[in-house]
Amino acid sequence: MTSITVNGQKRDVKASADTPLLYVLRNELSVMTPKFGCGLAQCGACSVLVDGEEMRACITPISALEGKEVTTVDGLPARWAHQKGLSEDPARLHPVQQAWVDEQVPQCGICQFGMMIKVTELLEHNPKPTDADITEALTTSGPSPHLCRCASYAAIRDGVHRAAKLLAEGASA
Amino acid sequence: MSTAPDQLRPIDIYGASLTQVSRPSLSRRGFLGTGGALVVAMGMLPEMARAAGASLDAAKPASWIEIHADNSFLIRTGKCDFGQSSIYTAYRQIVAEELSVPVEAITTVVSGDTDRTPDGGGTFGLLRNASTNMRKAAAYTREAVLELAALRFGVPRAAVTVHDGVISGGGKTARYGEIVAGQDLRLTIPVAGELTGFIGVQVTGNPPLKRPEDYTVIGQPMMNPIIQPKVSGETVWVGDVKLPGMLHARVIHPATLGSTLTSPGKLDAGAFPGARLVRLGNLLAVVSPDEWQAVQAARAVAEDTQWSAWKGLPGSDKLLDHLQHKADWGQVPASKSPASKGDVAAASAKSHAATYFVPYLKHAPIGPTVSLADVRADGSVTVHTHTQNAQFLRMAVAKMLGKGEDQVVIRTYPGPGHFGRSNGGNAGSEDEAVLLSRELGVPVRVQWMRTDDMQWSTQSSTMYSDIRIGLDGAGMIKTYEATHSGPPMQDDRPIGALLAGLPTIDPPSPINPSFIHTAKMSVADQWIYGKVANVAETGRGTDQIGMKESPIGVGLRDHSMRTPIQFQQNFPREVAISEAATLAGRDALQFRIDHTDDPRVKAVLERLRTESDWDTRPSPAPHASATGEAVVRGRGVSMMLRDNGYWACAAHISVVPATGEVKVERMILVTDPGIVVNPLQLRRQAQAGCLMGISEALHEEVTFDEGTITSTDWQSYPILTMAEVPDLKIVLAPQAGAQIYGQGSESANALAAPAIAGAFLDATGKAARRIPLRPDYVKAMLAV
Repeated sequence: MTSITVNGQKRDVKASADTPLLYVLRNELSVMTPKFGCGLAQCGACSVLVDGEEMRACITPISALEGKEVTTVDGLPARWAHQKGLSEDPARLHPVQQAWVDEQVPQCGICQFGMMIKVTELLEHNPKPTDADITEALTTSGPSPHLCRCASYAAIRDGVHRAAKLLAEGASA
Repeated sequence: MSTAPDQLRPIDIYGASLTQVSRPSLSRRGFLGTGGALVVAMGMLPEMARAAGASLDAAKPASWIEIHADNSFLIRTGKCDFGQSSIYTAYRQIVAEELSVPVEAITTVVSGDTDRTPDGGGTFGLLRNASTNMRKAAAYTREAVLELAALRFGVPRAAVTVHDGVISGGGKTARYGEIVAGQDLRLTIPVAGELTGFIGVQVTGNPPLKRPEDYTVIGQPMMNPIIQPKVSGETVWVGDVKLPGMLHARVIHPATLGSTLTSPGKLDAGAFPGARLVRLGNLLAVVSPDEWQAVQAARAVAEDTQWSAWKGLPGSDKLLDHLQHKADWGQVPASKSPASKGDVAAASAKSHAATYFVPYLKHAPIGPTVSLADVRADGSVTVHTHTQNAQFLRMAVAKMLGKGEDQVVIRTYPGPGHFGRSNGGNAGSEDEAVLLSRELGVPVRVQWMRTDDMQWSTQSSTMYSDIRIGLDGAGMIKTYEATHSGPPMQDDRPIGALLAGLPTIDPPSPINPSFIHTAKMSVADQWIYGKVANVAETGRGTDQIGMKESPIGVGLRDHSMRTPIQFQQNFPREVAISEAATLAGRDALQFRIDHTDDPRVKAVLERLRTESDWDTRPSPAPHASATGEAVVRGRGVSMMLRDNGYWACAAHISVVPATGEVKVERMILVTDPGIVVNPLQLRRQAQAGCLMGISEALHEEVTFDEGTITSTDWQSYPILTMAEVPDLKIVLAPQAGAQIYGQGSESANALAAPAIAGAFLDATGKAARRIPLRPDYVKAMLAV
C-alpha cells in the first residue's frame, strides 16, 4: 500500500509500487484529466505537478511520490483558491483554465491538460513570461516538448498571456 | 393552454408533412412530459428498413430538431466534433438563423451516437454539403410553425412573420414554444440516401431558405461552448469511459504488415495473475482487470511471440523509385481533369520539367486510438469510441460479426483529434474491442500504445507528380501538363477484422465500384489559372503498396487526411508555378495574377500582397545562396481553391545552407471562403491548420523498411513544437454577396508546404520538390 496526496487529499493506493502514476490516477482514483499520449514522456499529455514541478505521470512510479503533493487540472481551482485565500467556489476556474476559455484555446483539447499544468508551473515561477519564456517552458524545459497535433500553439501563447493578466488582476484584488 | 385545433389534419409544408400524434405512446409521453413539443422526424425510406431499430424508433427521439414548450431547442447531427467546433458553433448559428431565434435558444446538440442521431454520414465538409441537412431541417421547421401560428392567429400564412424568436401576425404574437405547447406534433421531412452508407441521409426538397443578406446570427463571433467543460475536467473523453467488469486489453500486433502468427508467446501466470492471452486468428491480445498489468504482460508475451517473416514493401528510401519504375499504373483507367483543354504538345520558347513527391504522412493523434466494446449475451453490441462516421462503423461492425445492423449501437465521445482517419468508420481499435468482448463475454477496452498507432493505423497516401510547363516568348505559360500518380486514399477495412480473418468491406482496388474506395486517381486540385490555353492534368492510380503481397491483405493502408489528394497535387502544382515564374524572370505572386481569369483569385492574391508587405521582384532573392554558413532569406506564395473557398499564403523563411536548417519566420494567410459563419472560430482553425501545415512541410514523413513502419513514436515521427511557431497573420476577406458557407482549416493546412518551398527557391535559387524540408533532404536539394 502506497500513500500519495492528490489534489490536497491523502489517498491510499492498492496498485503495486512500480505502477506509473497515470494508471493509478485514472483507474484507481478516477482522476481523469491526465491523459495517455505516448507512455514514453515524449508528449506531455499526462503531465501533473509534483510539489509544484511538472512531471510526466506516464513514467513516474508511485513509489517515487510518497509524501509528495500531486496536482492535476482537476485540482487547479482549489490550488488557486488556497494560494489566494479564497473561499471554495465550485464554479471558479483557475486563471489558466479561465484563460483557455477566454482565448478559445483547444482544438481537440487532449494535450491541453498537460499544457495547462506546464503553464501553471511557469506562471507560479514567472508571473509575466515573455514569448521566449513560454517557448522555453513548452519545449526545452522538460523531458520533451509539449506536443499539440492540432497545432493550437498560437492560441496557447495567447492563453498564457491572458492567464498572466488574470493572475495579476487576481493578485491585486 | 392551447388554442390549436383538436384535430390537426396533416399539413403539407413544402413536401414535409406536419401531423399531430393523436395517441402518444407511453414512452413518448414520458419523453414529452406535459409540456408539448414539435419533433422533426425523417420520412422512412423503404431501403432503410434493414437499418431500422434503435436509430429509427420514433420512441427514441432520433429527431433532427425539437422545439420544447419552454422555447428551448435541441438539434441532432450524426457528425462529431474533432476540435473544429462547427457542430457546436456554426450548426447552432445556421439553425438559429433559419428559425430566426437567438442562438442561445438552441440549448442542446446531440451528436454522433447511432441510436440518437438521424442522419449519419462522415464528419467532413461540415459547412459544405453536411450543413445542408441542418439548414433545410430548420427551414422546414420554421415554415411548419409559422403555418400553425397562422391557424392560431386566424390570419393567412403570408401575414405571419418571425423575428428574434417572436412570431407575429394579425396583431398577435407568440414564441415557438407557445405554438407547440400542450401538443405532440410531428413534422416528417423528406430524405434520401442510406443511413449506414458512407455519406448517410440527405434532407431533400426545397423549403425556402433565408437570404444571406438578411443574416443576423451567421457571421457573428461565437464562443465554443464545449471548451469550458473540457478545460474544467467535466468532459468524459473516449478513454475515460468505464463499465463494470471491464477488462483492459493490449493487442500484440504482427511483426510486419504481412506476417501471420506462427506461435504466441507464453503468458507467465505467476508474474501476471489475472491476465489472459486471447488469440483470434492473427489477432493476439492480453487482457487484465489491471491496465498496467496488461501493458507489462503484453510486452512480455510479444517478446517471445513468433511471426512469419515478410518483405513486401519497397522501403521508404526507395519509395519514389518504386512508384516511378515498379508500380503498375496500367490496371486503372487514367482520369483527366475538367480543366484540361487545348494541345500541351504546342511548341514553347522555354520549358520547365520536374518530378515532385509527397511522402506518406500520419494523422498521428496525440493519444493513440482507444475503444470500449460491450457485446452482450442477448446479441447486442455497444461500442464507445471516437469516430467521424458512427453509422458507417455500425455497418462495418455488423458485417464483421454477421449480425443485423439493428443490434449494433455506436456511442461517440471527444477524443484525440485526427483529420479524416475515421471518416469511413474506424480509427483502429473499435473492431478489436468488439471481437475481444464477444470472445470473453465482458466489456473490453482496447487502448493502442503509441507504437500501435504509428504502425497499424492508416496513413495519408504518397503521390508523385511529373509536371511540364512551356513558356511563350513573352514569358507567359503556354502549356501546362501534370501527371499525378499515387495509391488510393481510402481503406476503410478495420484492422482487427483483417487479422481475425472476418468479413470487411472490399479494399480499395481497380475493381471496387465504390466512388470513395476506388483505386482510380482523380485530379482533385482545382485549376485556377484559366488564362493558360493548353492544359492537361492526368491522375493515375494503382493498388495500395504491399497489400496484394501481404498474406493478410494489409500492407500500407491509406486514408484521407485534410484535403486528401488535393494536398498531394496542389504542392507540386504551386511549386512548379513558382519555378515557372523564376524561369520567366517574373514575380511569383504577380505571375499567378497574370494567369488567372477568376476575379476572386486575383482579389485574394492582391490582398495577400498588401497584407504580407510583399516585395514584387523575380526570384531568386538578390542575396540568395545555396552554400555557406550565413543565413539566407526568401518569401514564397501558394494558392488553393477548395469548396468554393479561395485561400492564399505567403511564407517568409530563413535557410542556413551549410546545415540545411530551414526556419519559417512569418506566415500570412488570406482567405475568401464564402460566407464566414463564425469569424472567431474560423480564425483559430486557420491558425492551427496553417501551423500543422508547417509541421508537415518541415518534419513529417512516414518511414518504413521492407516489412513494417519504422516511424514508431514522436522521435521517429517528429511534429512541430512551440519553438517553431512563426509570426502568423490570418486575414478573413470574404467576397461581398457570397452565397455559400466557407470551410475552415483544411485549406490553410495544405497551403504551407508549397509557400515554404517557394520561399526556399527564393532564398537559395534551388527548388524544393519534395517534403519534408529537413536538413538531410535540404542539403541534397542544395547540392544539385
